[in-house]
Amino acid sequence: MAPRAAIVGGGLSGFVAYLTLRRVGVEDVTVFSPEPDPAAAFRARAAAIRQTHMRSESDGHCLPTSFPGLAVRDAVRRRSVAPAVASLFDRYHPTVERFLDHVGELRRRSGWSPVPKRIERVTPVDGGFDLDGEAFEHVLVATGHPGLCIPEELRGDPRVVHAYEPHDYAESVCVVGAGLAAATEWRNARAAGADVTSVRRREPVHRPLNVPRPFLSKRGLAGFHRLDRRGRAAMLQQMLTPSYPREWETDVRVESHVNGADQIICATGFLRGWQHDPLLAQLDVPAVNGWLELGDDATVPTLTDATRTLALAGVAAQWAYPAADTLMGARYVAHAFARRCRTR
Amino acid sequence: MSYTLRGRLESRLAALAPPVLVAAAVHHWWLIELAGLMAGVVLLLDLVYHRPIAYQPGWAAVPLGLLELGCILLAMRLLGIMAPLRWALVFFAASWLWAQLLGHVLLPLARLSYAEDGGELGVALGAVALAALVLPFAAAGGIYEHNLPPVVRLSAGVHQGPLYIRHRVRLVGERGTIVRGGIVVLHRGVTVSHVHVVGGEYGISVLGVKNVTLDHVTVQGATLDGIHVRHANVHVHDCLVDERGMPDGQGIDVSYGMIQGDSMIDGCTVVGGRDGIVVHGSMGMIEHNTVTATKMTGISLVEMSMGSVAHNHVAGALGIGILCGDHSMCDMDHNTVVGTRPDGTANAMRSGIGLEVEFGAEAELGAHNDLVANPRHLGVFLDSTVFWK
Repeated sequence: MAPRAAIVGGGLSGFVAYLTLRRVGVEDVTVFSPEPDPAAAFRARAAAIRQTHMRSESDGHCLPTSFPGLAVRDAVRRRSVAPAVASLFDRYHPTVERFLDHVGELRRRSGWSPVPKRIERVTPVDGGFDLDGEAFEHVLVATGHPGLCIPEELRGDPRVVHAYEPHDYAESVCVVGAGLAAATEWRNARAAGADVTSVRRREPVHRPLNVPRPFLSKRGLAGFHRLDRRGRAAMLQQMLTPSYPREWETDVRVESHVNGADQIICATGFLRGWQHDPLLAQLDVPAVNGWLELGDDATVPTLTDATRTLALAGVAAQWAYPAADTLMGARYVAHAFARRCRTR
Repeated sequence: MSYTLRGRLESRLAALAPPVLVAAAVHHWWLIELAGLMAGVVLLLDLVYHRPIAYQPGWAAVPLGLLELGCILLAMRLLGIMAPLRWALVFFAASWLWAQLLGHVLLPLARLSYAEDGGELGVALGAVALAALVLPFAAAGGIYEHNLPPVVRLSAGVHQGPLYIRHRVRLVGERGTIVRGGIVVLHRGVTVSHVHVVGGEYGISVLGVKNVTLDHVTVQGATLDGIHVRHANVHVHDCLVDERGMPDGQGIDVSYGMIQGDSMIDGCTVVGGRDGIVVHGSMGMIEHNTVTATKMTGISLVEMSMGSVAHNHVAGALGIGILCGDHSMCDMDHNTVVGTRPDGTANAMRSGIGLEVEFGAEAELGAHNDLVANPRHLGVFLDSTVFWK
């Protein structure tokens, strides 16, 4: 079998992995994705929610190394030290437009051209994996979020729209949820002149970032990885509770149930759990409370050995890296995957 | 950045390596000392930082850098590293800037997972950084060791002197080594240590040579000077000179060494004799000595000498406790002068004065001289000047 690497999924996680593999000299990389634009999903969601700035700081970029991030590039482009200084204080948040330009530029420069195909099945074979008829030694599954989550009781209600779907605002809006998307929709609907109510099961949690910064690197991860299964699941549950920065707080009327508003916006995030992803659902991977139990390098232990690698990226890799659904997380998984592709 | 302890230390080693190499390449001992001190202080501080600073934002480099600078300057002062302040600051600032460049730009570029690995460099880069840091110090140590003079050991027992030292050696006496009749040092860079000298006109003479060290020597019963230094510079520390019962003997006499450089007499005990410690026409530092029961002045800086007299204890001198005379320039502080006695003549300048400045001398006196039970604590005579600190 030829030493080949494949990335299943051409979203931002797959894109970061591709750039990383190219950076470390892995030449034979095949990306499978029906969508050629790695930022397509992000672009649509950001537009739907009218997101103007990236939540993360300059590390929220697609390059394989942490330097130079967008802050430095922005400083050079604008001939101003302000972005770099803001980054030193963790206060640099590039605009979504700037980020999308960055993705577009990298896409052009990197020779990114995914095979327009949706992989239906990952089949372990001797020394690698079969992806719908093609064999690869190392496979990274980066299929992203499995879909938008709409509460069961609201399905079929014609007033319902998900926050990440394109929408305008009616005169009265009921926003369901208590995370960053909900906080954004409170503001958006207010700005559009709507009468806004918030429906939520719990009080909002205020945090600058969902995952505390030490957990973005080895220091915090070492302790996280040492936890037993139950402890790790509990910590993930706690860390991944939807939250938003305190400065996003908006004074809205809170109700316990959806009222008779003209429009119901579900700011309820994504379907949670690997079983919603058809590709992951086929894999024989143990799970704990909805999280796939991966190795610390985001590989599937039962399907990874000295000759082959099956790794997961994005939200499916949170067992290895709590912030796996961020660009930092994409880079973490990509680095680990690149090490295996390069050294084996 | 959330450093692991290993990552913090490895990143620091990588940052320290070039400054250390520069220090090794530039032939100034103070720079090597400063680089070594800097390495020690910042690595120690890294151990302190680790627990309280779980996440270190970029801006923290400025206050932490200032803290490190303060600690280094304090340590320089405490350890007596004679680095020129301006160049020391330039060296630190350049090292700090290099560390920022390395930590924020070069290492993240060179190593994909630098940030997520908490600053760890991996085996190869870490080893290079460690080697680059350690090798210059090891080389400096090796060169220093290589340049040390050969050691000549004097066995225990009595050796008949006088011994003339005409080569650069370290003469080391074993426990119980006694030399009768004195030692004469006639070559630069000689060290004499742990030797007990008995008798002779001069116990140990150092004549016309530089950089001689007398370390833990004792001299007893020399008929003239216990330690006799002429046209030379010496570093005498932790010595004992006993001139009791010697009518013409005196303790330590360093004379005519002005052009040979500073001499230092530190931590010695002188008992009996005429004058205890005399610096005559020389530059010297006389510190942490104990001089008792002399038949004349306890400590003298005379004949256009320049130097400091500090942290000495002089007890029971006759006439004058500590003297700065004959156009000398002296800095005197933290001395204790106790029980100086009048010499019994009508000479007012020897009437049992604790500190005396005479004959055109200039003395800078600190406020911490402890003058006890002297008939007169301070005497200033014959166009002399005293400056109070």
